[in-house]
Amino acid sequence: MARDATRRRVLAIGAVTLPLAMAGCKGLGALGTPPKAAPGVAVTGDAIMVETRLIAHYGAVLAAVPGLAGTLRPLLAQHHDHLAQLRARLIIPPGSRARDPASPGASPSGSPSPSAVPGTPAAALGYLRDAENAAAAAQLAHLTAAPPSLAQLLASISASEATHAMILGHVRHR
Amino acid sequence: MTARPAARRSALARADGPATVAALQAALAAENSAVYGYGVAGAHLAGPKRAAAVRNWVAHQNARDALTAMLTARGVQPVAAAAAYELPFGVHSAAAAVALATVLEDRVSAAYLGLVGLSDPALRALGARAVRTAALRAVAWRGSTLAFPGLDVPVPRQPGAPTAGRGTTAPASPSPGSPSPSRPG
Repeated sequence: MARDATRRRVLAIGAVTLPLAMAGCKGLGALGTPPKAAPGVAVTGDAIMVETRLIAHYGAVLAAVPGLAGTLRPLLAQHHDHLAQLRARLIIPPGSRARDPASPGASPSGSPSPSAVPGTPAAALGYLRDAENAAAAAQLAHLTAAPPSLAQLLASISASEATHAMILGHVRHR
Repeated sequence: MTARPAARRSALARADGPATVAALQAALAAENSAVYGYGVAGAHLAGPKRAAAVRNWVAHQNARDALTAMLTARGVQPVAAAAAYELPFGVHSAAAAVALATVLEDRVSAAYLGLVGLSDPALRALGARAVRTAALRAVAWRGSTLAFPGLDVPVPRQPGAPTAGRGTTAPASPSPGSPSPSRPG
């Protein structure tokens, strides 16, 4: 297990540092053929993107409908737990220009524009419920490609998101 | 003429490997204890909660039968259900019955996560669906969600029992989460 984790880290670091080293020698044009990353790295990156997007949805809804904070905060906290577990599987050297989808300033495609967030509690809850269901499905999209322990983490996160959707569908709002 | 069933079964068992059989057996054992546990829980519930317990009891019986068939098709003897299981705490009230049902679903999600750790894509998908289903049932009983269903299984706690020292629960069991088969005599 520990050895497996170490190997994964080495693979992850290799995947992000090699293109940079090449770029240092030959300029940006050398980035044309980056080495193929281990499957777990790409899958983890996608999963991080899904969580980051979902957290952005929660942030937008909390800003638009602050009255839902009591309901949404515990669910949002679990998404931060998901993100932390996923990011722990990717070690990215500090200061590198490697893409970290969850870093501040990164704007994942699909971030909600303020106008897209419904202003009423009922509609906002439905909006987040749809986002949770979409995330639950997305986390399973690459289940087959993932190494066993990552597959288990993704299945667990996906199940958690399905339960969030259920809670959001049952909230009695005033 | 096609290969004889027995020969085909043993070839399947070889292809699956011990990890697959162990994961299927663990899921079956969890389903067996869930079937027993819901029988106990249902007796202390009424109204919609009793109806939910009965629904889940039937669902776990169906899942048990499906896993039994999968193991039999692989030429493996499925683990047998115990006549009785030691419960993680005494169940003498509706609140304790709800807590027991929650524990049962938590343990079932953990068992199915074992299937997700296999390399067979079909078993992975089956495991992921079952983890989701059990997590949804657990939330219906618990009223709140977990960040990592099946991975972080909460220690079962009898409702109303003090947090430190769990009341009458015997501390002998190494794995207090799962209703374990009681050893007769």
